[in-house]
Parts: sequence; C-alpha cells; structure tokens
Amino acid sequence: MLDRKFFENLGEKGINFFTAVYEIFLLFIDSLKAIPKIWFYRRQLVEQMYNFSAKTLPIAAIISIFVGLGSTVQGTYQSSSLIPRYVVVNVIFKSTVIELSPVILALVLAGKLGASLAAEIGSMKISEQIEALETMSLDPVGFLIMPRVIAGLIMLPVITIFANFLAIFSSFFVSTVVSQWVTAHEFINGLKMDYKSFEIIFGCMVKPSVYGFFIALIGSYFGLKTKGGAKGVGESSTLAVVVSAIMIVIFDYYLGELLL
Amino acid sequence: MIEVRGLKKQFEGKEVLKGVDLEIYDNETLVILGPSGQGKTVMIKSMIRLMEPDGGEIYFDGEDIRKLNRRELEDFRKKIAYVFQNSALFDFLDVRENLALFLRMHKKLKEDEIEEKIVKALSFVGLNDDVLDKYPEELSGGMKKRVAIARAMIKEPKYIFYDEPTTGLDKKNAELVSNLIMVLKEKVSATSIIVTHDIELMEKVSDRVALLKDGKIIFIGKKEEISDETLEYLYSIGDTYEV
Repeated sequence: MLDRKFFENLGEKGINFFTAVYEIFLLFIDSLKAIPKIWFYRRQLVEQMYNFSAKTLPIAAIISIFVGLGSTVQGTYQSSSLIPRYVVVNVIFKSTVIELSPVILALVLAGKLGASLAAEIGSMKISEQIEALETMSLDPVGFLIMPRVIAGLIMLPVITIFANFLAIFSSFFVSTVVSQWVTAHEFINGLKMDYKSFEIIFGCMVKPSVYGFFIALIGSYFGLKTKGGAKGVGESSTLAVVVSAIMIVIFDYYLGELLL
Repeated sequence: MIEVRGLKKQFEGKEVLKGVDLEIYDNETLVILGPSGQGKTVMIKSMIRLMEPDGGEIYFDGEDIRKLNRRELEDFRKKIAYVFQNSALFDFLDVRENLALFLRMHKKLKEDEIEEKIVKALSFVGLNDDVLDKYPEELSGGMKKRVAIARAMIKEPKYIFYDEPTTGLDKKNAELVSNLIMVLKEKVSATSIIVTHDIELMEKVSDRVALLKDGKIIFIGKKEEISDETLEYLYSIGDTYEV
C-alpha cells in the first residue's frame, strides 16, 4: 500500500523538477541579457569556441566515420534486390545526415562537454572562484555562461557539418571501394535523389544548434548548482550528462515533428 | 566609511547573523574575531552582497548598497578587493592572467603597462617574475596567498576584505602575510577589514577589534580596551586553532 511518505517524496521530486526547469529558464534569460556585453567578453567567447570545436574534432571524426560505416553496412545488408541500390544509398545518406550523425554526435558531446562544463564551473563554485569574479566586477553569467552557450549554439553545427562529410565519405569508401556494392556513379545519384536543401540544413545546422545550446546551458546550470566538495562536482557532472542526453532525444523527436 | 545596521542572515531557518551593527572608519584596519561557525565570513560576504542579506542596511560612503542594481553593484565592486580564505585564484589562468584580468576588463591600458603593473605587484608581495607563467596548482599555499594579495592590490581598492588571511599557513608565511597587510594598507591608503581567529595577526595589524559571537558584535574597540574577560574568551578561541 502506498503510504504518505511516498506521496511526499513524489511531491518533493516534482517541486525540485519544476524549480530546476524554472531556474534553467532564468539562466537562459540572464545569458540573453549578457549578450550586449559580448564584445567585453570576446576573449572568453573565442576560448569557448575553440573548446567546443578543435578539442572535440578527434572524437567527432571517430564517431562520424564509424556511424557512416555502420549505417552503410546495415543498409546494404537489409536492402532487398527489388529496390534499386541508389535508392538504398539515398536512405543511408538521409538517415545518417539528418538523424544518426547529429544525434549520436550530440549524445557523445553531451558526455564530453556537458560533464566537463559542469565539473569546471562546479569546482569554480566550491573554490569561491565565481565569487572572486564578482569581486572583480565581472558578471559570472557574462564571463562563464553566455560565451559557452553561444559557443555551443555556433560550434556544434560546424562540428556536425564536418562529421557529416566524414560519415558520407566513409560510406562512399566502404560501399564503392571495399565492398564494391555500388559504383561511384550510383552512389552520387543516390545522394542527389530527392535532394531537399532544407533537410540538410535541418540535420547539419538546426538540430545541432539546439543540442549545443542545451549541452552548454544544462552543463553550466548544474555547475552553478554544485554544493559540497568533489562528490558534489561528480553529482553535477552526472546530472548534466543525463539531463542533456534526455533533452537531446526529446527535442530530436519534437524538432522532426515540427519542422519536417 | 562603512556603516552596517541590523545586518541579518539566515540559512534554512538558522539565524547566523542576528542584527550586526558596525561602523568602520576610513583608512583603519578592523579585525573581526570570532569562533568558527559564528558567521564571520557570512558577515563580510553579506556586506558586499556576495551573499544577499535577509535584513539590515549597509552603507559605503553613505551609499546604501542593498539598493544597487546589478550594474551599479559591479561599479561599486571596482573599489573593493577581497582576499579569499583559499585564495580563489582562477585555476584556468596562469599567474600573469590572474593578475591582468581586472586591468584587461576594466582599464584601458596597453599590454606593456599591464605587464609593468603585474611585475610591480608581484615584487611587492615578494615573488619573482618566474611565477608569471605558472598555474595556481603549481604554487604553494603561501605563494597562492601572496598572488591573491597582489591581485587585490592591483585594483588599487578603497576597501580590502581579508577572509582568514593566515589560516593554513606556517608561521613564517603567516608573518609575511601580516606584514603585507600592513604595508599594503599604507601603500594604497585602503580601509582593511579582516576576519580571523589568529590573535597574533590581530595584535599586529589591528587599529580596532570587533568580536562576533552568536551572530552579534559583542565588543568593538581598540585592542587595549579589551577586558580581561573578553581577552580570556579570545584566547579560548585561539586555543582551538593552529596559528
């Protein structure tokens, strides 16, 4: 039988959840308010754009190459002899560029960037560095959060475009050179078939921008909420990754429903 | 001049500050003494709104800082410096950038002028140029504290707050830091507010002493005016700490 404590816990968890959603929204508003000072914090923005791009390129390259290879192997294996091969190439291309590559990459980067953001800001919080920023007349949101959110918004699409190129190239390589399942001409025809620019923009820019925004905002939020010592930093990092990953898959569905 | 009236702060229903009244005069060094957990740090952080007080008034040169909006608060903080208990150097910046940060963000100085100020500040705290490229994690506790004091000095503040400046330091470094506090006060003509439990530091640097107990100031005056009973209480506090 469900006792009173169960409902109390449920209520408390519900309140905590809605409080967190509200606080994340407020952090977003504060980040927006800090945008007019973007020139003042340009060094931090450039540094974060570097962190969000150059430092993630190797992992993005590995992920995208194997996403391309994996989806090609699956696509060719599952295809029937009744379907022209260039049609299968088209399915592989679109599923990789619009769905697989952006989502898998965002989930991996949520683990890498989200955790490191939360840990970095969390350890700054517990070692009074955020208060030290305030005593130097610097706005912690402007100095720490806004550059990260903008870097996530801008640089995740850049990495995704790079990753999609690698995925398509690896797919081309495995299907035309290694297995010789299709010719290069058929492969190119498959890419061109039913081509819609918006789909590519959607997969390479719209989705990654939204994911980058969430990774940066949620990572920063949990960093700022860090309490205690190393244990607190660990908890913040874990929460940042879990919540970012959940937001990515939820928005993957809704963005598709809304925009396609 | 700083005037604090009825300053209150509570955490999860527990009152830490129960109405602190305090006046701090220009160019004086006020040492605030009190046992651990009495709210000394909370008090000075509330005074500059690093923590939001729950009640009371705080005036710096007649200006009620509780009424300042975010931008006004940022401007107000340009004239204060705060030396944190654990130094709070930015661990993603080397010593040079830690010292340069305020100048880069708020002063229109050329790179060579910034470098000159950094080297001067470092030499003032007795450190050589060879620490400039080091990161905080590569410095000892005493060196970190000295860089933190240099970072405070570089702002040329009107008010300097020190949070337990000698805690965790050996006797030699503690003496060095207390000397720096005295010299820095003269150099930048600043009002210094120090919270500590270090009685030796209090005896060395204080113009006046305030004693915080149970969330209230129970004594404020010159160290010579401290009664035997209060002195006994002070030493009982001191006994519990490594000085």
